[in-house]
Amino acid sequence: MIPALTNLTRPMPFLADVEDSFWFPKQASSFASEVDWVYDFILYICIAFFVPMMAFMVWTMFKYTKKKGTKAESQVTHNTPLELAWSIGPSVLLVWMFVQGSISYLDMRTPPEGSYDVGVQAFKWGWTMDYGSGTFHPELHIVKDEPTKLSMRSTDVIHSLYIPAFRAKKDIVPGRYNYMWFKPTVASEKVSDEELAKAKKQSEGSDGWDYDKYQFTPDGYTFFDLYCAEYCGTNHSEMQTAVVVHETQEELDAWIKANSSRPEDQTPAEWGQLLYNRRGCSGCHSNDGSKLVGPSFKDVYASQHALASGDNVVVDDNYIRESIIAPKAKVVAGYQPVMPSYKGQLSDDDIESIIAYLKSISSNTAAPAAE
Amino acid sequence: MSTAITSRDPGYPTDRENYLTNSSGILSWIFTLDHKRIGLMYLVGVMTAFAVGGLLALAIRLHLLDPEGWMFTGAEANNIYNQVFTLHGAIMVFLFIIPSIPAALGNFLVPVMLGAKDVAFPRLNLSSFYLWCFGAIFFVSALFSSGLDTGWTFYTPYSTTTDTSVILATLGAFILGFSSIFTGLNFIVTINTMRPPGMTWFKMPLFLWATYATSIIQVLATPVLGITLLLLIAERTMHVGIFDPEFNGDPVTYQHFFWFYSHPAVYIMILPAFGIISELISVHSHKHIFGYRFIAYSSIAIALLGFLVWGHHMFTSGMSSLTTIIFSALTFTVSVPSAIKVFNWLATMYKGSISLTTPMCYAISFIFLFTIGGLTGLFLGTLATDLHLHDTYFVVAHFHYVMVGGTLIAFLGGVFHWWPKMVGKMYNEFHGRIASLLVFLGFNGTFLPQFVLGSRGMPRRYATYDPEFAFLHQMSTYGALLLGCGLLYAFIVLMASLAKGRRAPANPWGGATLEWACTSPPPYYNFERPPVVGDPYDFHNIEWDSQEEKYISTEPERKLVPEEQPAEVPAHH
Repeated sequence: MIPALTNLTRPMPFLADVEDSFWFPKQASSFASEVDWVYDFILYICIAFFVPMMAFMVWTMFKYTKKKGTKAESQVTHNTPLELAWSIGPSVLLVWMFVQGSISYLDMRTPPEGSYDVGVQAFKWGWTMDYGSGTFHPELHIVKDEPTKLSMRSTDVIHSLYIPAFRAKKDIVPGRYNYMWFKPTVASEKVSDEELAKAKKQSEGSDGWDYDKYQFTPDGYTFFDLYCAEYCGTNHSEMQTAVVVHETQEELDAWIKANSSRPEDQTPAEWGQLLYNRRGCSGCHSNDGSKLVGPSFKDVYASQHALASGDNVVVDDNYIRESIIAPKAKVVAGYQPVMPSYKGQLSDDDIESIIAYLKSISSNTAAPAAE
Repeated sequence: MSTAITSRDPGYPTDRENYLTNSSGILSWIFTLDHKRIGLMYLVGVMTAFAVGGLLALAIRLHLLDPEGWMFTGAEANNIYNQVFTLHGAIMVFLFIIPSIPAALGNFLVPVMLGAKDVAFPRLNLSSFYLWCFGAIFFVSALFSSGLDTGWTFYTPYSTTTDTSVILATLGAFILGFSSIFTGLNFIVTINTMRPPGMTWFKMPLFLWATYATSIIQVLATPVLGITLLLLIAERTMHVGIFDPEFNGDPVTYQHFFWFYSHPAVYIMILPAFGIISELISVHSHKHIFGYRFIAYSSIAIALLGFLVWGHHMFTSGMSSLTTIIFSALTFTVSVPSAIKVFNWLATMYKGSISLTTPMCYAISFIFLFTIGGLTGLFLGTLATDLHLHDTYFVVAHFHYVMVGGTLIAFLGGVFHWWPKMVGKMYNEFHGRIASLLVFLGFNGTFLPQFVLGSRGMPRRYATYDPEFAFLHQMSTYGALLLGCGLLYAFIVLMASLAKGRRAPANPWGGATLEWACTSPPPYYNFERPPVVGDPYDFHNIEWDSQEEKYISTEPERKLVPEEQPAEVPAHH
């Protein structure tokens, strides 16, 4: 059965938020009002041309539809002054669009001195934001009214970072750094503790966190969508993350600190599971035995694998560590050498935790005997 | 003044003259050098390709009914979706739109409009058709081997690393490119050398101007696509390191190469459509085309300016600010000649004597849809708004308004306009018009919501999407189903005419160009002797014969001047 149109009860069923306009999502950066203003202005110009032209066409259609064989009232062939007028006249408006568009564009291309810098690494199919001092996280956390510059690189193919609420987009091309900047003007809100606790309870047992369902992050912040806008393969449409805008720098610093390493009250296996979801492992390695881009993690620990080179390997602590630091060294037969290196991006404790997590989802947890 | 008139009407062809029946058997088609038969074979080919591409489009739309994906399920759902949208794009661009008007209608019409017997190089013409078939086979075999999931643009380094059949598909596109070059070359030579006495450049029908401009682009731009695709194959197989960053290449270089062809290719697709609309509007308004020279020159201007604007596909790629701004400025210049044409068409209708025939219905919906397509291009040429709209559904809607609302609608209008000439049968006007209305409504239903989707931030080429976009996506899908029904309806109208259509007169619409001066369908030799060439948009001498339901050319009685006897020439000076 084909599903029926949903949400017909609401007058504007596609507006996610009451603050949305018909054409645009919420304005949440300093660019947004500028882009929307230029857009609206071009829209009015277009309507000012389109409506009279079409009205004229429909009018002639009715007025001059004649019985077959009727001769046309006029056989005028041309009128050079008139044609010159309508060729050159509208060009003035085109010049305005070009100039205004370019002025705003230059503004959007030039980050102000002293912007807050976040490193962005895009990969198939996820994001890693680098907050410095060894803190990496898939979500983008920034501060309200603080110009923020992103230094972006890709480890595989071309991606494009797009935040509709900020009206900002830039391709991320492998082999070079691309930069973009923006100034967020609207802070994320924090949901109540009860709501957060309820959502956490609901999502227990499922893989990862459903941002679309809850509309807030696992830390309880509302967020803006961040999409990959350049087609990059299988899970291009799932290469999304959240942008959280903090009220103050202190709040952001506290969040970074809380996410920099394993909290005291978490076991390595719990932390490993979190990293598995958070750092993009789950995009290519399932934990239920199904084959994705890479081998599944279920029962992988202590198992034997044939390598692409023809050798065999036993998956022990050392092999896992090597595969994280230098993934292309020993590739399992039947898979492509496409995984990026996590060298320098995971601490010893992080790797230890991931190994603990792999053990926890494998039936054979005894470390294999060294040969 | 005397009212006695003499009429010129070629009547109907005999079976021996009719190009469809003068020889029979499958071999008489396979080895035919008759441009009309080749055109007809192309028509069957591109319509088949369109049917396949259209079904893939419906599959895409059905999948997007649900945010999580509706049509394809299971672990491979996203991969299947990616292959389906790639094939939809590649088939529609390389197998349908580029050859549709020039190769199918152009082959049939160019020589007849010139009053000639055939194109300049009939054998080259036939070989271009077989190259098209050959290239199509490569494409389809890519589909049946390991699929293709790069998008029709083959962007590197994705295309150099994916394990789908990129090489097979690019070889297909490479071969199709040669087919396109051959057709273009043939038309350039034909139009330059085979115009009949009296047909100066500015007495050519505007369809020929448009075809000429298109051919120039085909010959000049398509080789660059060939080079690009060969380099891509070399990169994949030998790692020459020009596009792939892993071997010190630059992926953005590929985009420059690719769009240097593919932007002019957009004009290969739309210029012939402009030509058709100029003919349709003038003939069905029974009024001289307004501003002939402006329309003709604007075709050439578009062909030349079209080579300078490829960078507007790459505003977000990280080109320098200066380059980006220059490309934005150049992009705006190309919008002027398109606007001129629309104004001229509207002025042609004004004070005309319009017949709302099926082709005219398509011409009018073309003006409506193409104007939207053109105006929305302004949002994308403006840098500030493009950064937001680039790679969203706004772009998808924009180019479908130009390519489908423009080229496809003009193609349909052209097919309905010249159908009586091609097959010698009239179709049912009532049903033809209903079908055109369904196509118009279905098309708008499909693509208007996509403008809103795009400006609200929905990226392209997504197999799944956020739930807030569901309503607009569903609207779009229902529009697409209506569009599909409309197109099927139009097809049935044409097929029904073959079975029980009225025999077509030589000039069913009252056109003044030369193709209406020969019988419907034309004899295999087109014209017994070169026809008299006049103004292609002079309708003074074309009268409606309501008894026989056809138009006839009339000539007012002329006073015969008695022939003067040459004075006797003295034998010596």
